[in-house]
Amino acid sequence: MDAFGMGLVAAMGALATVAGASEDIESDIGSQSNPNSQVQLAAQVGNPHRIYNKAIAGEPPSNALWCTTAAIMAYVLIEGYHMPLLFAVAVGASLAALFNGVMATSAYLGRNASQARFNQWIYLDIIRYTTPSIMAHVWITSFCITLISTIQVYVLTPHHPFPIPVIALIWGLTVGAIGSSVGDIHYGGEREFQWRLFGQGLNTMLSGQIVRKAEAGLRNSIDNAWFCAKFGGPCTGMGFGLTVFLDNWRTTVFDPVTHAGAAIAMGLFFVIVMNLYNFYCELSARRKYGPYPGYKGDIAA
Amino acid sequence: MTVGGGAAGAPQALDPKKIRIYGLVGSVIGIYLAWILNSVTGTNIFSFVGALAALFGVVLGANAVRRVCAYGIGTGVPSIGMLALGMGVVASLFGLNLAEQLGVGVLGVIIALVYSVVFGYVIGLIANRVMGFNIPIMEEGLFDLSGAGTMAILGWSFAISGSLAYADIVKDVFNTGFLAIIFICGGLAILHPFNANLGPDEKQDRTLVNGVMVGGMATIATGICALMTLGFAAGMLEIVVGFAVWYYFYVWYFRLAKRDASAVVGTGLLPPSAL
Amino acid sequence: MSFDINTIIYLLEIIVGGLLVGVGVHFVPVGGAPAAMAQATGIGTGTVQLAAGSGLTGLLSAGLMMSVTDNIWPILATGAVGAMIMMDATMLTGSWIYAYAVGAPFASAKVNYDPITKFSQPPYVAPGTVGQGIPTVCYVSGTIGAAMGGIGGALIYYPLVQINGNPAMSAVFAVGIFMVDAVLASWNIQGTIEGFHDPKFKKWPKAFKSCLVATIILAVVAVLITPIGGV
Repeated sequence: MDAFGMGLVAAMGALATVAGASEDIESDIGSQSNPNSQVQLAAQVGNPHRIYNKAIAGEPPSNALWCTTAAIMAYVLIEGYHMPLLFAVAVGASLAALFNGVMATSAYLGRNASQARFNQWIYLDIIRYTTPSIMAHVWITSFCITLISTIQVYVLTPHHPFPIPVIALIWGLTVGAIGSSVGDIHYGGEREFQWRLFGQGLNTMLSGQIVRKAEAGLRNSIDNAWFCAKFGGPCTGMGFGLTVFLDNWRTTVFDPVTHAGAAIAMGLFFVIVMNLYNFYCELSARRKYGPYPGYKGDIAA
Repeated sequence: MTVGGGAAGAPQALDPKKIRIYGLVGSVIGIYLAWILNSVTGTNIFSFVGALAALFGVVLGANAVRRVCAYGIGTGVPSIGMLALGMGVVASLFGLNLAEQLGVGVLGVIIALVYSVVFGYVIGLIANRVMGFNIPIMEEGLFDLSGAGTMAILGWSFAISGSLAYADIVKDVFNTGFLAIIFICGGLAILHPFNANLGPDEKQDRTLVNGVMVGGMATIATGICALMTLGFAAGMLEIVVGFAVWYYFYVWYFRLAKRDASAVVGTGLLPPSAL
Repeated sequence: MSFDINTIIYLLEIIVGGLLVGVGVHFVPVGGAPAAMAQATGIGTGTVQLAAGSGLTGLLSAGLMMSVTDNIWPILATGAVGAMIMMDATMLTGSWIYAYAVGAPFASAKVNYDPITKFSQPPYVAPGTVGQGIPTVCYVSGTIGAAMGGIGGALIYYPLVQINGNPAMSAVFAVGIFMVDAVLASWNIQGTIEGFHDPKFKKWPKAFKSCLVATIILAVVAVLITPIGGV
């Protein structure tokens, strides 16, 4: 264990937290992944809307694409043209943001054109002012993840044997998986349906009845970022940050050559602690909220 | 999620058999054409032809995704694209390696293609017989998909390495990790078109044009990789060709979206019926 | 191309790895799109993606371990631990959202009593939904599934590196084989499952058979790919 390595792992954890948060907010502005099924459904049940409809292949593959794109550009610039690392990563992230812009607009155009029979219009101003905001968040995500990959390969010891683009691909898949499992619940469970009773999931009867109006005028997708940045985004960042930090921390503190057993035992310890924490969450939620009043069955609470 | 055309299959103007023949034959011929041009001229400037050949495979794959997913497979569209590229990675490297070991060098593309379509067909059989999907076109859909994934990987790998030799592909594409971008960008080129156009009014031509557009982006990405492996001239040419393909098909796609949408407005409130 | 006893061992390792991935996917509590609206129990995303996210995080850890040692056990263990950390961090932060943003108690609609904590479930299932959140049994099940996915990914990766000695190539190969098995398994469970207590879990032999056939076909060619000309 050395102080430099610990500093790097801490930096990676911080970068991962930022990446996770921006990934989730990006998917909320664009309305991607699972909650988008309700946005898609809204027009079909007679509620045309002015919310972005960016269905790019689910979050994990799409984030893997942004991160890999940034990583190949950075890798080419570093290895082939000997550019400074930070500059190369920034150029890569910019390319990833451009790719994202193309995919996002094509998905918006395509999904809405395929709902012509439900009178869902294509609004060009939505493309014009929402897309740059999505691209900006992708820039942050891919910048952080490419930087994590380069740190793992070039700086942190032991150096990772995989090439940078493959590591970026895997972290991209992971951050997408975390973003769609964690942050999207805040968007889908709370933001899309703010007028239903609080304290329960969406009743199936209300499917598709999303909130379409804002405090003034019609709701747009940038409003969703404002809401989800308060809790969903930070939680996603926490999830991805924990993954990157804890996973690398144990192999940095305990040398994998001489103390492999300790590194594995440390990981198991984290896993057990997280299991107990979830049990605590379940227990406290049950105690504080109690059973639902309308329950008619005969099983005691 | 079940969506779109329902159990009757998606309506289509272009016959899937025709697309399959054009897709497979076109990509094989394209890759060999690129290889011949590169070997005859002794340069690597024609590597971009390999990337164009991959576009044939992409169209085939996008059409297969469209046909299979119209039945609803329960796990969303992305999984099937990942499956196609997962099969393609193993198949393409196996083909190249086996051809080299048997001393028939350039026949690797054919071996990879044959292996992958057989594998795809078997997976389709498994899905229908063991898991009870009962999707009548599952076998041929996966036959097309795995073939398309393999041809996309081989085409773009050629665009990065400029050679069909196993050692070159491993050195330029695998050891550098550039296969990751082929894997994910090729996968999105196959699965994004149908996913992005999902809905009851999805049209075949719009979906396929979208596929070629994403393929153009993948060509730009492989061109960037080629900047390092093939040198500045070949890489830049590939980027320019990729950009031209992307631009042409993006504009075309926008035109088709305007054609199919119920209205395209600069700004405005909701449709009068919905307010 | 050399075929000896070692090749057969490598072949078996890849096949077992593929099967672990295929069966492990069944343990992961995935609610699909409804879970993202707190409409169903489990994690609100797709099976393949979550399994891939955790299994490949495990693969990253295993790859790092493999670069410093050749002993198979620490490699498998670290792969499992890496995958479990990712899955647990995801489920834990997801639980925060269910508990503190949606404000719902965790409950499963598939069983009356949680097999681990013995808590009653139906009174806590919100009207019009099929459960919400990640109860303890789902959490433990997800941890087991992640461990199996991580071991599976590492077990596919380990023999490949032994054969071709090329971590970069083996990593992409492992990703490819992993994806095929994960997709087949998620087709088998049709998108959503709650864990080992879910009635759907009994369908796993079908996925076992499918993954066995698919992995054998992939593994046979994967072990035949040997270095040529030094690469």
